[in-house]
Amino acid sequence: MFKDLDPILHSQLRLAVMSLLIGLKEAEFTFIREKTNATAGNLSVQIQKLKDAGYIDIQKQFKDNYPQTTCKITPAGVKAFEDYVKNLQSYLSVKK
Amino acid sequence: MEEKNLTEEESMLIIQQMINTAKHEQKDNGVGWILWGWLLLLVSVLTYINLYTRWFSTYYFWTYFGILSLLLILYSVVKYYFFRKGERARTYTGELFQKLNVGFFITIMFIIFSMNTGLNPMKGFPLLIGLYGFWILIYGTALDFKPSIIAAYITWGLGFAGFFVHSFETIMLLHGSAALVGYIIPGHIAYAEFKKLNR
Repeated sequence: MFKDLDPILHSQLRLAVMSLLIGLKEAEFTFIREKTNATAGNLSVQIQKLKDAGYIDIQKQFKDNYPQTTCKITPAGVKAFEDYVKNLQSYLSVKK
Repeated sequence: MEEKNLTEEESMLIIQQMINTAKHEQKDNGVGWILWGWLLLLVSVLTYINLYTRWFSTYYFWTYFGILSLLLILYSVVKYYFFRKGERARTYTGELFQKLNVGFFITIMFIIFSMNTGLNPMKGFPLLIGLYGFWILIYGTALDFKPSIIAAYITWGLGFAGFFVHSFETIMLLHGSAALVGYIIPGHIAYAEFKKLNR
């Protein structure tokens, strides 16, 4: 009856990153860090996990000699997020 | 953000908070609309006064407005392509608005060109007002901003009325009113709301 919640997304920071990216076309690492209040190291680890799962794309480039990392959700990430929300809603509707 | 076991309610709260954060990035501060609206209103009023005082030729102020508009377009194109590094997040609506603005200004140029090559300005200005209404509706819908959506319909009403008037003075009054209703008032409301959100 209940589908398991995706363990990749069922994590505070990874879920926050995906929720942020679902509403944006793309965002820089510094922007995501600011909005999620995460440390750079922890965020770096979590977005790598999302990338390894195929949920986000990461682009690294240099701007004014500074490294710039830009993240963008993938179609697979959108689908995973939608499924996660759907499953979450069924858990919550049963709890009510 | 520390990693911990999430409850379903906490998950939903995180999703809502982050989506609201993303929505804030899509809000327009209204400054562009205010500037554009006041310029349109100013030129309409000056032209109206000029029609009675005959200081200058009929379209004197519109000629300079056209030159200023071209410079503003050039400035925004240069800013977009060469100075975008300040943007840390890009939104789908932001991309849409960029394309919409390009289409809007190209179409304005088409109408202005038509008025300079045979189209009677008595018909050309109502067409311009109609175009303003279109832009305002798309912006208002994309931003879910009711004042703009309402303003679009009022603007169209003013534009449509323009087809039935017989004096250029009245056209200028209608055009100035469209600028006030369509750009200035919603622009100031958007600015006030944007300031409140970013306090």
